[in-house]
Amino acid sequence: MNALVALCHFCELHGPRTLFCTEAVHPPSPSPQQPGSGIPYDRDREADREGEGLTMRANSSATQRADMCEGCRALPVSHPGFVSVDSETGIRYLSHQHPRQPQLFSVVRQACVRSLSCEVCPGREGPIFFGDEQHGFVFSHTFFIKDSLARGFQRWYSIVVVAMDRIYLINSWPFLLRHLRLTIQSLQSTALKVFDSEQCVCPQRAVRMNGAFSPAVFPHQRSGNAARSLTSLTQHPNLWASLHSSFSWLLKACGSRLTEKLLEGAPTEDTLVLIERQTEQEEEMIGWDGAEGGGSNPQPSQSDSLQGTDFQCDDGRQEDLPGPKFKSLRHLRQVLGASDFRQLAWHVLMGNQVIWRSADPGLIQSAFNVLKALLPVGCVRAISYSPQYEEAYRCNFLGLSPDVVIPAHVSSSEFSVLVDVLNAERDCVNPVDDYILSLYHFNISSPNNQPVDKGPTLLNKIEVALSNENLSVEVVSLCLLCLKEEWMNKVKVLFKFSKVDGRGKEDTQKILALLGATGPGEEDNVRLLKFWMTGLSKTYKSHLMTAVRGGERTLSQ
Amino acid sequence: MPTLLQKLFSKRVGNGSSRDCSTGAEQRWASAEFDLAQIRLIVYQDCERRGRQVLFDSKAIHKLDASEPTTDETKSPPTRSGACQINSQASEKDKPPTYQYTRPASDVNMLGEMMFGSVSMSYKGSTLKIHHIRSPPQLMVSKVFSTRFGSSVSGSTNTLQDSFESMSQTLPSHTSSIGVGRAASYPLLCLVRSASFFAAHSNPVDMPSRGQSEDGDSGIARSASLSSLLATPLPSPGSSFSSGCASSYQRRWLRSQATSLQHGPMPRWSTEEMFNLSDESCSSNPAMIRRKKIAISIIISLPEREEENHNFQEFFFSHFPLFESHMNKLKTAIERAMILCRRIAESSHRVQVYLCRVMEALGEFRMTVWNLYMAPRITEPVWLSMISQSAERNLLCQRFLKEMSLLMEHGAKNQFLSALLTAVLMHHLAWVPTVMPSSLPSIKPDCQKPASQTVDLLAKSHPYNSLWAQLCDLYGALGSPVRVCRTVVVGRKRELVQRVLSVLSYFIRCSDLQEHTQPPGQTDNPANPCFSQSINPIPATERRDEDTCSPKPDTSKPTLCMSTNDNALSSDLAHLLPGILSEQHDEKAPFQDTKSINPSPCLESMGVRTECTEMGQEYFGEDSDSVGLEHILANQSPLLHRVRFHIGSPREAENDVQPGALTGVGFGRGLDRKLHRRLLTDIRRNESSDSALGDSDEEEAMPRQLHMVTEQQEYELPLPSCQVESQANVNHFGRSLLGGYCPQYMPDFVLHGINSDVRLKQCLMADLEHTVLHSALDEPVAEALCIVADTDRLSVQVATSQRRVCEGGRLGRDVMVSNLIHTLITSVLQLYALNIAADFCVMHLEDRLQEVYFKSRSLAEYLRGQTRVHVKELGLALGIESSDIPLLAAVASTHSPYVAQILL
Repeated sequence: MNALVALCHFCELHGPRTLFCTEAVHPPSPSPQQPGSGIPYDRDREADREGEGLTMRANSSATQRADMCEGCRALPVSHPGFVSVDSETGIRYLSHQHPRQPQLFSVVRQACVRSLSCEVCPGREGPIFFGDEQHGFVFSHTFFIKDSLARGFQRWYSIVVVAMDRIYLINSWPFLLRHLRLTIQSLQSTALKVFDSEQCVCPQRAVRMNGAFSPAVFPHQRSGNAARSLTSLTQHPNLWASLHSSFSWLLKACGSRLTEKLLEGAPTEDTLVLIERQTEQEEEMIGWDGAEGGGSNPQPSQSDSLQGTDFQCDDGRQEDLPGPKFKSLRHLRQVLGASDFRQLAWHVLMGNQVIWRSADPGLIQSAFNVLKALLPVGCVRAISYSPQYEEAYRCNFLGLSPDVVIPAHVSSSEFSVLVDVLNAERDCVNPVDDYILSLYHFNISSPNNQPVDKGPTLLNKIEVALSNENLSVEVVSLCLLCLKEEWMNKVKVLFKFSKVDGRGKEDTQKILALLGATGPGEEDNVRLLKFWMTGLSKTYKSHLMTAVRGGERTLSQ
Repeated sequence: MPTLLQKLFSKRVGNGSSRDCSTGAEQRWASAEFDLAQIRLIVYQDCERRGRQVLFDSKAIHKLDASEPTTDETKSPPTRSGACQINSQASEKDKPPTYQYTRPASDVNMLGEMMFGSVSMSYKGSTLKIHHIRSPPQLMVSKVFSTRFGSSVSGSTNTLQDSFESMSQTLPSHTSSIGVGRAASYPLLCLVRSASFFAAHSNPVDMPSRGQSEDGDSGIARSASLSSLLATPLPSPGSSFSSGCASSYQRRWLRSQATSLQHGPMPRWSTEEMFNLSDESCSSNPAMIRRKKIAISIIISLPEREEENHNFQEFFFSHFPLFESHMNKLKTAIERAMILCRRIAESSHRVQVYLCRVMEALGEFRMTVWNLYMAPRITEPVWLSMISQSAERNLLCQRFLKEMSLLMEHGAKNQFLSALLTAVLMHHLAWVPTVMPSSLPSIKPDCQKPASQTVDLLAKSHPYNSLWAQLCDLYGALGSPVRVCRTVVVGRKRELVQRVLSVLSYFIRCSDLQEHTQPPGQTDNPANPCFSQSINPIPATERRDEDTCSPKPDTSKPTLCMSTNDNALSSDLAHLLPGILSEQHDEKAPFQDTKSINPSPCLESMGVRTECTEMGQEYFGEDSDSVGLEHILANQSPLLHRVRFHIGSPREAENDVQPGALTGVGFGRGLDRKLHRRLLTDIRRNESSDSALGDSDEEEAMPRQLHMVTEQQEYELPLPSCQVESQANVNHFGRSLLGGYCPQYMPDFVLHGINSDVRLKQCLMADLEHTVLHSALDEPVAEALCIVADTDRLSVQVATSQRRVCEGGRLGRDVMVSNLIHTLITSVLQLYALNIAADFCVMHLEDRLQEVYFKSRSLAEYLRGQTRVHVKELGLALGIESSDIPLLAAVASTHSPYVAQILL
């Protein structure tokens, strides 16, 4: 808890004194910014606090030294104090006679004086809360300790808990009261035993009754004993170490008394897939066997792992490669032109194999990087540069060197698109404003005869965002994120509906309408949804399977 | 004359009050009867020159009413399940009640002592105190204010002080001025004297000192009259986070920093609170500050039965911010009563007006507190139940979707549910962090959402008040600027209203609180420093192996300058501090042996402490200023490389620690640097002789020795631990502020239903204004809102503290339905209608809410650097329609504080 605990004593000779103080020192900010940690200690503020009736400075002269007695002191001057470290959190609990932080010194002093000589507690023993914004807030519990030599056979103490957060402190009242009572009762009962045994040996009442009363001598007559420390009153040689432990525990326990269960949103599918790939990769590092054969659907797992490697290295590798790069989808669109871009993007979204052939691996890499953003991570299987053709089940993004021959079944397949990057003719008449266009020109070819202008809906929306130059690249990418998440959520519903629940066609049509996938471009939308379904994380899929089983059980009950 | 004393503690023990046995949708919250008369009000003033006077004591006031000898205000509410209602309003309007003031109770002097304390402080702000009175068991909450005066009567130069004097001089003739002349006896004197305090019209007296004691610079008093002028500062915007629970984290972190002790006292926003006796009409007049304090105390009699007493106290202390907020309201009413009655010349009339006003305010207060404690609550708030009982999740989801479907059908043509959810999602923003995607894989797939680990870590390293955080969440105070919102559902059909409440309890979210308590009766509680203490240490010593403790510490080792939590060190150190460090080993053992939990028995038995002390004195005594650092440097013990050194003040040391290296790792590396630094520090300090501890009054040591003390490292002791029982906390706001179908409007509840909006209309605007002035969040609030859903008229309106005027008796503005929300609900319910499993539908609902969050991110990004918002562009490019903009902007303000400033 953000508080400190102090034991205070009303000394018969010297008035209210702080005996022992345990404070919590928190580790530095765990957050990227540290508001407040740069606040310098302000001496002016300290000066302001003077003249409040409890002036500190007047007391600080050397003459004060004579004003100390055993009763006003916990640890000897040379004692370094105690520390306990909470290794889990890094919080250190420090105990000294006074707080080490100078700005807290007067706060504690104020709390001590108010607790023992200003605030009134009925019966003199008990809890009080008091405080204000300027001096901090205090939960105080006053109590008596038996002392056979003291006036009235008892001495007056208080334990104060000081905090700046009054709501927190007040909320903690029942807890603090419960535990401080334990502390106090334990001190009291221990002291009572000492008192009783002392009284047995030498009944003070009798001594005092029989002793000749002399007004001149009286104040000094017991002065030696007036200095009895709490250690001697309790005959507890390790009292301060024990109190340190008790107070440290109190601060810790009070701070962790209530814990919040605060939920975050479920991770996105992209996050889940990335984590899964990372785990797979780590497993592959350990043992490179058995991964390919097993399972009903080995294809994605194999390609996933391939792509996983690729994905991890992408960013770093791209920077290493020299040459021109595509910076964003919008840039790619500018270079290719709107209609070629649309055709290419359509193929990407439908899950067709996108093959780039170029002598410049860096350019291909950059093109794949911006195009990948169109898809969920789970749908991306890329081989960014390969010396020979790779089959479509292994990758939907394939980079090839210009001389690689593409097999006929691929070049004639409508499920593939080929982008040939050719060197631009040097004597190009039209000046081009883009560096890439000054070097290359692009030839896109696909046997696909379907029109690509109707759908999918997602592509139409992306194009609107891309074509609006008012929108920054960041806005476009967030917009793309929104669209992808929106469609991923539709994918989840469709997956649940068709794969998990196994509903019929008629119902599926209803669902498609409900999801807004029908209408113009319906065919493309459905293709997109089906392709994207392959990109769902295993975590999600297996969760749905198990959850459904659990759910049906509940339903049948 | 019978007093109310007998009634004070009267209560009836209820039956069927257990939370478990209720079958209905709502049930009583509190287990005990709570009598209105259990709440007593005392107003006291403490004047520098004249001492203390009681200005009001509800215990000494009797209503004089021929028909009813007992007052309405103190009558216990008629029904156990109902809320307290004001029945007597109509009659009060016709003829205000007459009050008689009798002799103040015998305890007022004592109470006065407690309120003010025995020393008058010159502090000008307000002071808060809470006392626990054992017999009879009572809790007393006091606020002590400095007063601010200002005369409103034009042409009159006199002050209250003077009028008081003139009144008291002519005191005998005024003794009959109250109590309708019936009880003209000595006890009345007190009130006459104090009541005369309010007299404004009396003989003018020149005040030569006027103007000299003006308080020109202390700012404006935070009272109702003026603080509406105060602009509420925006909270520091901070950086916008992009991941996870950033905004929740940020707010909690800022709170822990704002209230940190490590920065010392930093007066915050409410420090200027005073008791305002100056008139609104002349607030610009020079205000006179006298050394006078006014204390307002609420004394609550506690139930006699132990369990009820315990329950009430738990409730009171956990809900204190709400109690305090109502006390502030009461204070404002008392201020107004005092100002008002000053204008009345005739003194008995004046007293009556004063008493009437204050009694009325007290009646309000009592009723509010009663309602807060007793009103019915939603038994199973859907969200909280789902996250706390994952086993029942499927059933909860089914019930929730069924109710939502029914509601959708019910208000289909008005889009009632869509409008209501638009408003709720826009203002009760705590759902936003619960859909922000986590970067961690879901740990508990049952509830589909991982618990925030960063917040969890923060709570451990920088404890903050999770009750406070929960209150903020519930009121939706997550955005920027800070707005707080409540929702009231009005309707005559109980079942329908309850259905709305239940559905909304899914969307109005907060964290679930767990309480960790020490099992009662545990004898080895670490709070007990003398557990199993035997006064005679000898037997304990016999138990120990003599060898381990006998060797004298090797003095050449830098033993006292270390602090470590590395257990590997223990063996090296064991022979130095055997008792202490052996505990570290023990700590790892199971706690079957109670001795290992608490270090004290061993410590005490070993007598280690005294030994250490001697050692300390020996080596760090008066003539040993050179010991320490030099020794450390000279003796390059292997220990050094693993020991963490703290140099100078803890703060200094703390700043040295690099983030992440919180525990004994990698300190060896930083050691040399720190030692070097320490050398420099020493030199600097010795030169300036300006120790940071210069004003420690009680240190015997001279400055140079002080250094030695400062720089020694503390003896390390293990942190005791204790068995903890975890249980759901019943007194948290998530359970207590989601009200059920209540007989009357409640100003505190985040959500509740009522059958008629009559009282709502009377109180709402004042309540909203009060919320802005005296927020229970202990933080400035820019705007207070209330969503009013009427299930009869199928209307949803939002009332705000910022716009008072609403045409045609309406409470607020109609809500524009967000298309995003409408399609969201529609598609979720259609899925449900297609017989898709309920928990999948709820998951889909969460996914769709996450979409709303993503859209708000795009909107925020779009607005960055924009001066104008092109609504058409938003629609075309981002798919954000104009009807969605208010909602998305509110959501965006939780993660991108600049959004509000652009859109305003």
